[in-house]
Amino acid sequence: MLPLSLLKTAQSHPMLVELKNGETYNGHLVSCDSWMNINLRDVICTSKDGDRFWRMPECYIRGSTIKYLRIPDEVIDMVKEDAQAKSRNRTEMNKNRGGNASQNQRGGRPGGNRNNVGNRPGQGYGGPGNNAMRLGGAAGQGNRLPHAAKNRK
Amino acid sequence: MDDLNPLAGTAHLLEEVDKKLMVLLRDGRTLIGYLRSVDQFANLVLQRTIERIHVGNEYGDIPRGVFIIRGENVVLLGEIDREKEQKLPLKEISVDEILDAQRREQEQRQEKHRLVSKALKERGLAVDANIINEDFC
Repeated sequence: MLPLSLLKTAQSHPMLVELKNGETYNGHLVSCDSWMNINLRDVICTSKDGDRFWRMPECYIRGSTIKYLRIPDEVIDMVKEDAQAKSRNRTEMNKNRGGNASQNQRGGRPGGNRNNVGNRPGQGYGGPGNNAMRLGGAAGQGNRLPHAAKNRK
Repeated sequence: MDDLNPLAGTAHLLEEVDKKLMVLLRDGRTLIGYLRSVDQFANLVLQRTIERIHVGNEYGDIPRGVFIIRGENVVLLGEIDREKEQKLPLKEISVDEILDAQRREQEQRQEKHRLVSKALKERGLAVDANIINEDFC
């Protein structure tokens, strides 16, 4: 899961965007594109020093001005569930393909190949979001934390 | 990696995925978290991130959660050695204390800048205070 795909997954979630100039924007993500340009709604803008605030119903932020975005923990969990579902899907598909080996030209690797960057032809469930890099691949690193300290100030 | 790799240039970053990393941003902030993803711009996804503030030989950690960092703001990143992490020659203090210490340090720095620009002014040198105050460390 690439950073920008994760951002897309975070659509409709609340997030904090800090710009290079130190201003922060709190709001819900409406949309984003591949340049990281984003639309937010119900926004609170905070000045660099954190002493002045502006509320606005919506705003557009040019991607190149962004320093970082902070998103809720559960978005990354959503991705994990998504990836698990996909890998289950893949395992089943490989089982099915194993039955008629003559069609299996590419010698499909058995289930769960995690480093599969990009789509191989013949896998119907592909799509732009599917070049999943191993987001949260390692098990055992607990992925839930209490959602602490959402805001800096 | 062959030329078809859409992530060419980030090959070495890919090896850091799922490791605990320290990231230094251009604004001087230090983030520590688990690297979950990178792309061709070196945009990063950090999970379970803390912001670590250092003042002298004391530090404090503020939990921050998940970050998507735009690559151009990163100065450096490095893996945290889990063994050495246990025996840091630094003292951890509470968030409030470190924020206090940070503010004091900031005030001292501003005072110093004020004196420097005053001294320069007396010698007929004009200094743009904004240039001094911008902290690009």
